[in-house]
Amino acid sequence: MSRTGKSHKRLDGFQRLLLLLVICMVMLLGYIIWSTPGSKPVLTDAVAQMQEYSGVESPVTAVLLNFRGYDTLLEVMVLLLAVIGTWSLTEAFFPVQGSEISPVQMGAVRLLAPVMCLVAAYLVWQGSHLAGGAFQGGAILGAAGVLVLVTELPGLRTIPVLSLRIGLVLGPLLFTGTALFCLFITGDLLGYPKGAGGWMILLVETGCAVSIGLTLALLFAGGRPDKESIWKNNP
Amino acid sequence: MTVFQFSSPAWMVCPVILPLIAGLLCFLFSHRTFAIALAAALTNLLVVCLLTGQLLVFGPMRCHMGGWQPPLGITLRTDGPALLMLLMTAVTGLAITLYARGYFSYRISDPRRAGRHQRQQRYFWPLWMLLLAGLNGLFLSNDVFNVYVTLELIGISAASLAALSGKPASLLASFRYLLVSLLGSLTYLFGIVFLYRSNGVLDLGLLQNLAANGLGIRTALVLMSVGLLLKTALFPLHFWLPPAHANALAPVSAILSALVVKGSFYMLFRFWFEIFPSTITQPTLNFMGTLGAVAVLWGAVQAIRQHRLKLMVAYSTVSQLGYLFIAFPLARVDGGIPVWSIVIFIALAHACAKSAMFMAAGTVFLHLGHDRIKDLSGVRASLPITVFAYGIAGVSLMGLPPSGGFVGKWLLLTASLGSSQWWWALVVITGSLLASIYVFRVMSRLFVIPEGFSLKKSEPHFRLLEWPALALALISLFLGLAASWPLHILVHGTTTLAQVFVGGLP
Repeated sequence: MSRTGKSHKRLDGFQRLLLLLVICMVMLLGYIIWSTPGSKPVLTDAVAQMQEYSGVESPVTAVLLNFRGYDTLLEVMVLLLAVIGTWSLTEAFFPVQGSEISPVQMGAVRLLAPVMCLVAAYLVWQGSHLAGGAFQGGAILGAAGVLVLVTELPGLRTIPVLSLRIGLVLGPLLFTGTALFCLFITGDLLGYPKGAGGWMILLVETGCAVSIGLTLALLFAGGRPDKESIWKNNP
Repeated sequence: MTVFQFSSPAWMVCPVILPLIAGLLCFLFSHRTFAIALAAALTNLLVVCLLTGQLLVFGPMRCHMGGWQPPLGITLRTDGPALLMLLMTAVTGLAITLYARGYFSYRISDPRRAGRHQRQQRYFWPLWMLLLAGLNGLFLSNDVFNVYVTLELIGISAASLAALSGKPASLLASFRYLLVSLLGSLTYLFGIVFLYRSNGVLDLGLLQNLAANGLGIRTALVLMSVGLLLKTALFPLHFWLPPAHANALAPVSAILSALVVKGSFYMLFRFWFEIFPSTITQPTLNFMGTLGAVAVLWGAVQAIRQHRLKLMVAYSTVSQLGYLFIAFPLARVDGGIPVWSIVIFIALAHACAKSAMFMAAGTVFLHLGHDRIKDLSGVRASLPITVFAYGIAGVSLMGLPPSGGFVGKWLLLTASLGSSQWWWALVVITGSLLASIYVFRVMSRLFVIPEGFSLKKSEPHFRLLEWPALALALISLFLGLAASWPLHILVHGTTTLAQVFVGGLP
């Protein structure tokens, strides 16, 4: 980045060298990808073979929640970490209610938010046999949350912090709980009991969708709720 | 139930799942977070001891997640190096947990900024617990992509922890740390793409058997190594480390310096010497050794030049990490000492000594309100245990007998002289001499009692601040006397390595 406004678009020597290096790098990597032969799809065959034992019909969901469920468990924790990290840094900025919300905006939110929640629920359910699942549903829920946030509804300020925390932890805790339950029943972490895979995956996905949606919306809010009154009462 | 039997491989998931649950609970509840974290750290230590027992009885074990065999599922496995790293994390982690309690309660007892310190403590526990879960997951993992996920877990929680102090300097440093860490993760991920494209599997055990010397594998290895090196902060990629480690809160500095950099190094080492040993050539090993040698000398010289205690300790980390890489070119020596034992020894000794040193530096900072090296005189009178811990940790960093650092450096010396690569020995000796300069430079200040010095009354919270540091320092000191014990675990756990490195133990 240049410091002065004048040379805003000019690159200095070092940056040009860097750009050249990056271009060479990209070309080299492209050449390597192009010239190395791809291997046989070992995993695709394995997934297709085991699909019927996974409890769901969609191969993506089977990989995410069953075959490699452990990865997803940790990945959900990473999402939660993002919120914890953001909360530890700053407070969210909620503007004091100045003007009234325009009726058009209010109408749009009233119309859209419930539909978005419905679509999210449908996507989570659809995940068992088609494209969809916790992450897609959570993204829609997150978008609904963002819509509500930008409307600056006065009710947002009164949401208790504890309920937000519970909502955030719900998915990860449900996932971990299911994993441990399976460990006690079948002896394998996330080894769903025979026949129960379908509904357990749906349960985990529902919980995770709520938490992911809340995570995204709270990341948009950009900080912890400003009156985290837990400490002020109990030092 | 079979799960709770001693022979069950399912115990392996506990070091990951327990801190994970503890982290979630610490985030959910605002009270008793220390109790939750302490319980998790203690149970973690117990389970790791149990896993060690398992390893000694049954040898290396595997645990298939969800009962799915590779290549479909993810596998965790225990072997000698993994368990020693787990033990290191568990012991250091327990001490850091106790120290953090003392640190935060001391700071909260100061009424001026109690609210801010309470908030720091509030977020410290969940972040630390999730970081612990990530580290344990990394050491146990046997799957390339799962390693990436644990690296993400470690990187994001570590960057958030580094930013916790909230000072502008630490915010800037941790932001840079986050960017470097993400760049490292993405480079690693890019490497996985190549690996998956040319082999079609992600399980490390399968990759080890498949490994052919193809262009795709070599590219993958280069990309993954660069990503991991960025996270390990090998010279010249160390630029982010000193400000990030020195500006963090004291328990966080100890975590970052003692444990986090070891995680990525451990993975790098596995890739180079266990999974793809046939791809590595001697010139590349020499190159890594040279970078390590420069890191040893450059880090030590920079440490000597610092005016602040914490920055000095942080540069000392850059220097000590170099020793780990000097072991690389000595790996192919016939009839020599297996390189795992050298590297593990240096890593163990450094983890204990460095966390003890950062704790001592943090206590001194709390006591004086600053950490300018030239104004440290008189600390010995008011903080005798902390100064003692600092001294012992310094003994291990310098590599004096009988410390663990001595054994590590001694193994390095023997290997380099035995293979007539004497120049590495020269670097090791020079590095130790420089280390003694930076350790004694502070030590001499600590022992000076200025005229007219009167002893202040000792504050009540200092017990938890002082004893964990001393315990870790003593462990690093006596690690050298108990050297045969970790080596015993290594021999039991490295049946696969025995084929790669033919050679006896000292």
